[in-house]
Amino acid sequence: MAGSFDRFWISSTKEDVMAFSRRNFLKYAAMSAGGTLLAETPFLSARAREKAEGGNVRYVPTTCEMCFWKCGVIAKVVGGEVVKLEGNPLHPQSRGRLCARGQAGIGLLYDKDRLKVPMIRTGPRGENRYKQASWDEALGYVADKLKGVEDKYGPEAVALFAHGSPGTYFNNVVRGMGSANVAYPSFAQCLGAREVAWELTYGQGPNSTCERVDLANSRVIVLFGTHLGENMHNSQTQEFAEAVGRGAKIISVDPRYSTAASKASMWLPIKPGTDLALLLTWINIIISEGWYDKEYVEKYTTGFEELKKEVKSYTPAWAAQETDLPMRQIVESVRDLGRYAPNVMLHPGRHFSWHGNDVQRGRAMAIVNALLGTWGRPGGIWLPPKVNLAGFSENPEHPKANKDAVVFGDYPFAGGEGLTQVLRETTIKGDPYPIKAWIVAGTNLIKTMPKPDLTRRAIDNLDLLVAVDVMPTDTVMMADVILPEATYLERHDGLFTITTREAGIALRQPAVAPMYQSKPAWWIGSELCKKMGLEQYAVKDTWEGRMRRQAKKWGIGFDELADTGYVAIPGSAAPYITATNQPVFKTPSKKIELVSSELEEEDFDVIPKYEPIEQPKKGEYRLLYGRSPVHTFTRTVNNQWLWELKKENEVWLNKKEADRIGVKNGEIVRLENQDRVVSEPVRVRATERIRRDCVFMIHGFGQHSPAMSRAYNRGADDQKLITRYKVDPICGSTGMRVNFVKIIKEA
Amino acid sequence: MELTITGANAITFPILHIWDWRVAIYLFLGGLTGGLMTMSAVANLRPGKVVPRDQPCCWRIPLIAPILLSLGMFFLFLDLELKSHMFWFYLTFQPLSPMSWGSWLLILIYPPMILYAFAVLPDELKSGMADGFIKRFADRMRPHLLRLARINFVCGILLAIYTGILLSTFVARPLWNSAILPVLFLVSGMSTGTALMIIMARKNEVKLFFTKVDIWLIFTEIMVLLLLFYGHYTSDAVHRLAIMPFFNTSHQFFPYFLSIVFLGIFLPLAIVLKFLEVTGDHSVELTPSGKFLMNASAVLVLLGGLVVRFALVYAGQLSGYGGIM
Amino acid sequence: MPKYAMVIDQSRCVGCMACVVACKRENHVPPEQYRTRVLEMVNGEFPRLKSEMRSELCNHCDHAPCVTVCPTGASHKEDDGTVQIDRRKCVGCKACIAACPYNARYINEEHGYADKCSFCQHRLRAGKKPACVATCIGQSRIFGDIDDPNSEVSRMLRDNSYRVLKKAAGTRPNVYYINQFPKKS
Ligand SMILES: Nc1nc2c(c(=O)[nH]1)N[C@H]1C(S)=C(S)[C@@H](COP(=O)(O)OP(=O)(O)OC[C@H]3O[C@@H](n4cnc5c(=O)[nH]c(N)nc54)[C@H](O)[C@@H]3O)O[C@H]1N2
Ligand SMILES: Nc1nc2c(c(=O)[nH]1)N[C@H]1C(S)=C(S)[C@@H](COP(=O)(O)OP(=O)(O)OC[C@H]3O[C@@H](n4cnc5c(=O)[nH]c(N)nc54)[C@H](O)[C@@H]3O)O[C@H]1N2
Ligand code: SF4
Ligand code: SF4
Ligand code: SF4
Ligand code: SF4
Ligand code: SF4
Ligand SMILES: [Mo]
Repeated sequence: MAGSFDRFWISSTKEDVMAFSRRNFLKYAAMSAGGTLLAETPFLSARAREKAEGGNVRYVPTTCEMCFWKCGVIAKVVGGEVVKLEGNPLHPQSRGRLCARGQAGIGLLYDKDRLKVPMIRTGPRGENRYKQASWDEALGYVADKLKGVEDKYGPEAVALFAHGSPGTYFNNVVRGMGSANVAYPSFAQCLGAREVAWELTYGQGPNSTCERVDLANSRVIVLFGTHLGENMHNSQTQEFAEAVGRGAKIISVDPRYSTAASKASMWLPIKPGTDLALLLTWINIIISEGWYDKEYVEKYTTGFEELKKEVKSYTPAWAAQETDLPMRQIVESVRDLGRYAPNVMLHPGRHFSWHGNDVQRGRAMAIVNALLGTWGRPGGIWLPPKVNLAGFSENPEHPKANKDAVVFGDYPFAGGEGLTQVLRETTIKGDPYPIKAWIVAGTNLIKTMPKPDLTRRAIDNLDLLVAVDVMPTDTVMMADVILPEATYLERHDGLFTITTREAGIALRQPAVAPMYQSKPAWWIGSELCKKMGLEQYAVKDTWEGRMRRQAKKWGIGFDELADTGYVAIPGSAAPYITATNQPVFKTPSKKIELVSSELEEEDFDVIPKYEPIEQPKKGEYRLLYGRSPVHTFTRTVNNQWLWELKKENEVWLNKKEADRIGVKNGEIVRLENQDRVVSEPVRVRATERIRRDCVFMIHGFGQHSPAMSRAYNRGADDQKLITRYKVDPICGSTGMRVNFVKIIKEA
Repeated sequence: MELTITGANAITFPILHIWDWRVAIYLFLGGLTGGLMTMSAVANLRPGKVVPRDQPCCWRIPLIAPILLSLGMFFLFLDLELKSHMFWFYLTFQPLSPMSWGSWLLILIYPPMILYAFAVLPDELKSGMADGFIKRFADRMRPHLLRLARINFVCGILLAIYTGILLSTFVARPLWNSAILPVLFLVSGMSTGTALMIIMARKNEVKLFFTKVDIWLIFTEIMVLLLLFYGHYTSDAVHRLAIMPFFNTSHQFFPYFLSIVFLGIFLPLAIVLKFLEVTGDHSVELTPSGKFLMNASAVLVLLGGLVVRFALVYAGQLSGYGGIM
Repeated sequence: MPKYAMVIDQSRCVGCMACVVACKRENHVPPEQYRTRVLEMVNGEFPRLKSEMRSELCNHCDHAPCVTVCPTGASHKEDDGTVQIDRRKCVGCKACIAACPYNARYINEEHGYADKCSFCQHRLRAGKKPACVATCIGQSRIFGDIDDPNSEVSRMLRDNSYRVLKKAAGTRPNVYYINQFPKKS
């Protein structure tokens, strides 16, 4: 086994560890085939492959939308039917492989429960009474209603909630009307706090389509939560497995024995919500034991001395008590980091809205990385590729918003993606002004935002709710008008700028024509603009035409792109710090700010301070949630090929706790939270794999919409139990792991 | 251990369930037919006796046997997932596949069975017949009766053993994978065959003869059954585990436990009843109650044979090779 | 002729099930039926736990009991070392399903024949790797010609200690498992 370690080990200290460029990949593919019979002809072109295989097979390179990782897909089409999806080997997000969800995209395309025709509500909200309408009628109806709202309350009363690609096209409607009220759950419910924490520290986030983590070359990888494997982001998980395979040390800090923890050489089953105590103690040890990269700290950071003073009081003994971890583990883990620095990393994480103190947790993680000098180092956080693509627009600029947007609340560091929950609150209160129409495109708000009863109350206040979606989800079935989008396999989107170690361009193009009466979002948005008298924002001809013009402007051959699915931008990769490749920090001090000047300006702690959070009372458990590798939130639960692999979620409960309260593995129980909200029935998974003070559920189950025939009433909805959330005062993200539940046995 | 399997097939997980009552009945009827062939041959070959050709057990049983066998094969046919491909059984011979040579064996058994049935047709019956093909053919076969009986004797044994071999060759199913199983099925087949002979027989003397034979067979059957369990019990863990369902009173395994109770009570009971019969005073005609008891014990034996097949077919599918490793 | 084999590096399996879905779509496996599966096993008591992840499929045994029992010759061993099923000849007697110690087979509910992993023979013939291997996120599944000393599978087996499943069953599998537990460095 030692042999395999040597063989796979890529010396990470050498400067020539290159980005995973297209050429490297091909070399690798040929190598792994062993030069034998299986010398697979590498995919270079869809047309060439079609020709080689003959017959009526077509290959269409496009981009996956089963989650937000945007992998390159090659759809195999036989006789007008998509029969197989494969990863595009040229595309750095997929590298020839697709995850289970990506493979199951066909299940979405051919789901009988799909939204098929535009529909207008005829009965009371939520009673599932709709009439079918033509596109003309439906869009006319929407336009009239929007204009009505605009006339009565002003354009800012129209808001957009979106996630994924469809949102882009409705920006033109909402912003074109003069409203700036646009919000994406990807900020407040997802990675907002992380981005802000790293921006405050490094002047730049660790990127959002793909974390810039050099897992493939790392020697020690620390995961806080970040449950890679279950969190199935394709290329990232590929690299994680590569790291495990070559014997990199994995340290998993997680109250639950996740897949990642099962691959770890050290599992730290931390008491939930105490991560900052561990991090601050690590900082203390790194400084006091001298593990930090002195030269790097000297050259690139500010505030070291202040930091050193501030963290002195955080001792291992104290941290052991606070985090419920053995002191030995606390010390050993950080020494490992120090020993192998800088080829190590604390993975920045992704879903970051945990307990409401999340920016500071992120800051502490960013600081540890800075002290160890991982930013710009092999095995650490690589530097963004150098690319300068000109902006491209064929529409006039949006008018200045009529009134200030409400979506940033009172949070000085709320990001450009807006705060969904503030938009919701405003809709309920009508303060500072009323919000009366929502366009919801590609997000399942009732399941996505905490405190779903508030989402329902806000919807009750609306004059118009338009849903642009592909499935009849809980949120969609509350809408006044349902507009069926074509799935990602039936439409154009993009061009997408993909920034991994190198930069490149990818696209989405239809493998087959839209089924039923579904339409691509670009068309829906464009037609709506026309109906609203916003012709200037409509798409000139077709989206493909626009893509061609954009490609031309960027100097990329569109036909080549359409044939290969991905075109790299040569010379863009510059992942590591060298004499000539120096990092740029866009902070006020132009350095890595261990002490944040921006936080100082806004009167927040400039160095993270630990404050204990509320812990569960006796008989209660903290409700944690996470991912299943075969599902993406609520969007895949009705997909035949994924549904059959995981039909319902369970509630993970420590085995000894289960014994103590007398519930058996597999027994059906309900959960009741601190606000007496009771869950759907759910099976207990009595397991050694979780701490005694918390329970865990996979998010996305418990669909209430009967139109989702497979998913309907399967498993339990975690969101329903999340009736409390703690807002991060710095960026306004919603910490959602602050709810406590009791287990109620079914009579 | 906490085990999660994603992508298991319902047909094999959590337990194998490929074969059901259809196969159990097929195996039962196969064994029964074997028993009938052998025992009707014995009836016709009984040493020192004039062949009691008018005895229903001597001529009706050979007539019934092919029908029962065909019925058994019909149940097997019902079990096939691709019935239209049935003919492939007979377009090939797979020397290592018990099912292949089983299917050929069944075909090869028919001719001696049918010829035998012709040979034993009693004269009274034939005299009532028109002078057709059947009568002439029966007359032609009559001189070969004893030879045919001997062939049937052997074929019956082969058939009954075969039904057990079919199961015993599955290494992957520990409960079946025992050399004792074919012996058990052989004895069980013979005992059920004998039981049916007793029921069909008219003459006291014949009834008593087969009752005596059956006592020995049932006794052997019980011994072999015990040996089967003992053999598994003293074997490795998977085999020991394989017999567990029979000794577990939990809800899940209750039918298996019940089957053991059934066999444990009814087979010995049948022996006792039979023993009482043969030791009784039979200078006079059998009393109706005596006859009833005799037939009742024979029915118990038949039921026992059925239970053995059902229990083993189902329980064998609960057993697997070597756990998950 | 090559002799195909698969080496499964258990330390690299992340339990993502991409192989399971890819196999189903590639081979038109009906709903809720599978040619390959993934096992996750965790032993021990909190917090001292040890885990094992493993994908399983037909082992393409050299001494395949499923081939031996097949009454029609539908199940057979081919020159490339794979065990295949000739669907025209299969009567659906299910003997092979009972005979396989690995529970690798099932009856295709849409068509009635016995079915199992084919090592994606149709892809091999087209010079492609099996669908599950091609998409394996962890690159836990490695495929190749075990008779070729330079193939990756041969190298893997040379450099690592390996095992096969249920060795005592005497089936001589052609699927090998290495690195049962995550490596500690
Ligand atoms: N298959 C699949 N993959 C996905 C997605 C999907 O829907 N399906 N979604 C993608 C998206 S958008 C995101 S944002 C990411 C999210 O995925 P991650 O960023 O990995 O989410 P986390 O919340 O960090 O990880 C959840 C883990 O955190 C642990 N945890 C809970 N509370 C605490 C705590 O207080 N401290 C510590 N240290 N750990 C804790 C839980 O036990 C659980 O194992 O996943 C992405 N990947
Ligand atoms: N309780 C709880 N809440 C959470 C999380 C959690 O783990 N637990 N995770 C949080 C995180 S990290 C995130 S990123 C968010 C995710 O929140 P969402 O993005 O809202 O997640 P989904 O549930 O996948 O909803 C996606 C919606 O888009 C639709 N859709 C899918 N494809 C298309 C398409 O091509 N076009 C259109 N128009 N619609 C499409 C789906 O049918 C579905 O209605 O949720 C957050 N909320
Ligand atoms: S990670 Fe999986 S679901 Fe997400 S884009 Fe890639 S293939 Fe699609
Ligand atoms: S694993 Fe099972 S099905 Fe595959 S060859 Fe071996 S015995 Fe036959
Ligand atoms: S089910 Fe088909 S492949 Fe299996 S043993 Fe029977 S005939 Fe052979
Ligand atoms: S080799 Fe092919 S048939 Fe076998 S499990 Fe992999 S994908 Fe399925
Ligand atoms: S695709 Fe590979 S890593 Fe994923 S479950 Fe299958 S074998 Fe494991
Ligand atoms: Mo997210």
